[in-house]
Amino acid sequence: MILRLAFGSLMARALTVGMTILAIALSVALFLGVEKVRTGAKASFADTISGTDLIVGARSGSVQLLLYSVFRIGNATNNLTWESYQDIAERPQVDWIVPISLGDSHRQFRVMGTTAEFFDRYKYRSGQSLELSDGAIMSDLFDTVIGADVAATLGYEINDPIVVAHGLASFTEHEDQPFRVSGILEKTGTPVDRTVIVSLKAIEAIHVDWKSGAKTSGMSTAADVIREMELQPQAVTAALVGVKGRLQVFGLQRSINEYKQEPLLAVLPGVALQELWQIVGIAETALIAVSGMVVITALIGMMATIFSSLNERRREMAIFRAMGARPRVILGLLVLEASLMAAIGAILGLMFLYIGLIIAQPLVDSAFGLWLPIDPPTLREVWVLLSVIAASAIVSLVPALRAYRLSLADGMMVKI
Amino acid sequence: MKTLPLVAIVVVTATSAFAEEARQVDAHEHGVGQLDIAFDGNQIAIELHAPGSDIVGFEYAAESSDDRAAVDAAVAKLAVPLDLFVLPAAAECSVVQASAELESEEEHADEDHAENDEEHTEADHAKHEEESGHTEFHAEYLLTCAQPDAASEITFTYFETFPNAVELEVQVVSDAGANAFEVERNNPKLDLRGMF
Repeated sequence: MILRLAFGSLMARALTVGMTILAIALSVALFLGVEKVRTGAKASFADTISGTDLIVGARSGSVQLLLYSVFRIGNATNNLTWESYQDIAERPQVDWIVPISLGDSHRQFRVMGTTAEFFDRYKYRSGQSLELSDGAIMSDLFDTVIGADVAATLGYEINDPIVVAHGLASFTEHEDQPFRVSGILEKTGTPVDRTVIVSLKAIEAIHVDWKSGAKTSGMSTAADVIREMELQPQAVTAALVGVKGRLQVFGLQRSINEYKQEPLLAVLPGVALQELWQIVGIAETALIAVSGMVVITALIGMMATIFSSLNERRREMAIFRAMGARPRVILGLLVLEASLMAAIGAILGLMFLYIGLIIAQPLVDSAFGLWLPIDPPTLREVWVLLSVIAASAIVSLVPALRAYRLSLADGMMVKI
Repeated sequence: MKTLPLVAIVVVTATSAFAEEARQVDAHEHGVGQLDIAFDGNQIAIELHAPGSDIVGFEYAAESSDDRAAVDAAVAKLAVPLDLFVLPAAAECSVVQASAELESEEEHADEDHAENDEEHTEADHAKHEEESGHTEFHAEYLLTCAQPDAASEITFTYFETFPNAVELEVQVVSDAGANAFEVERNNPKLDLRGMF
C-alpha cells in the first residue's frame, strides 16, 4: 500500500524525480567505472611482462631494473658483460635467456637490440605472444621490426628505410647503415609498441666505424663488409631469463645476486611490478576518493530536491494525516521514496556502466592498450550499490524528520 | 675479463686477499629475514634466510657450550618447517626434504665453494665469522601436498619460536606469477588466495 503510494507520488513528479535519479545513476556509473578502470589498469600493468622468470641486469634497484629493461624508462647504471651473460646462460637451471641491448634511438622511440627468440619468449597479458600485423621478423642484419605506435606515429610501412640515431637525444645518426622495416607488430598495450627492435648484432654493426663514442671521420664500412664481420657484443643491457622448473627460480636468483665476478641483480618481474605499483598506486586512492565525492554530491542533491518538495507537498501531507495516517507513516513514505529513487538510480547506473563498457572497450584497448573486462558485477560492486541505497535512506531522514514535525503542527488549513 | 683469473686464485687461497680485489657485502638487517616460496604442481619449495640474531640472538662464533647448544637447538627447530610455517590441514602437506644450517656472510657469497666443500668444520665457521661479524641461518624445504590449492593461508608460528624475529620478506611464485609480501610479527599470517 505505502509502496504504491510512494511510487505514485514519484510518478506525479516525474521530471524532478527523473533528474534526481539521473544524477544518482551517473554518479554511480562514474564510481563503478573508475573502479573498473582502476582494476583494469592494475591488471594491464601487471600483464606488461609475463612468462619471464627473472630479469637480470647490473646491480641497482629492482624497480629501476624493471623500468629500463621493460618500460624503457631511464637508463642502466651499468651493462651486463658478455662473459657474465654467457656464464648465466650456461647454468643448468636456465631454460632460455634473451639479451636486451638499449642505448640508441630512432626519433622519439628507443631502439632495442635482441635476438629472434625475443618474439617467442616475450609474453604479455598472461601468456599472449607478440604477433606481427604485417611483414616478418628480422632476416637480414639491417632489418628491423617496429612496434604499433612507432608505425602509427611515423607512418612507416614495410620496406621503409630507418636511420638510427646514436644515443638517446643526439643529432649524430648512423646514416651509413640504414635499416629496413621488415615487420610491424600488433598493438599490445605494452612498451613494445614504442620500440624499434633490431638484432643484437645490428647494434654492434652500426657502431663498427665509431671509435670512442664519436664517428671516425672519413671512414665508412660498406654494409656488405659489415655483414661478413663477426659481430660479437661486449656487453648487453639486461637479459630476460626463463628457468626449467619453477622451484629453481629462487636458487638461481640468489646465486646471480651473489655473483662475485660482476655485481648483478636478478629480479622476479611480478615482485618488481608489485613494488612499482605501490609507488604508482597512490593515484588510484585519489581516483576512488574523487568518484566517492561525486556520489555524495548526488545524494546531497537528492536531499535538496526532497526539501524543496516539502513545501508544495504540505497540503498532501495534511490530507494523509486527516485520513488517519500517523506522522510515522509520513516519515516512512519520504524515506521509502528516497530509497526507491536511489535504487532506480543504482540499477540505471549499472546499466549505463555496461553500455559504456561495451562501447568503450575496443576503443580504449586500441587507444591505450587498456583491457577493461566486462564481467558480471562483483560482490564489492553489489555492496557499493547497496550502500548507495542505504546512504540515500539515511540522507532522506533529514527532510523526512522535518516533514514529520510539520505534519504534527500543520492543520488542514495550510496557508501557502 | 682481466679480473677473472685473479678471482679464481683468490677463491682457492684466502678470503682476506679477496677482500682487496672486489669488495661486496650483502645487506644484513637484524630482525628481517627472507622467505621464498615456490609452488609447482604438488610441490612446494621453501627457502629461508634469517640473520643469526633473529634465530639465536647473537652473531659471534659460538664458543661457549651454551652458545653451541643454542645453535644446535635452533637448527633442530629450523629443520621442522611445518612447525614454523603452518599450512592448512586440508592441504595435506608432508615434508620430503628439510635442511638447515648456519652460514656466514663470506661463505654463502660463494655458492660453488660452499656446495662442493661438504666438510666445513666449526673452525672454518669461526674464521669466517670473525671477518664478517654477521651470520645467517639458511634452511631449505621441499614439501608435497595432496591438495596444494588449499595451502592458501600460511600461519607463521616462526615468530613465536624465534622471539627476536620481527619481519619476513616473502617472495612467492606460482602459476599466477610472482608476488611479494611482508609478514610481520604483529600479523603473522600470509594470505595467498590471489596466487592460485
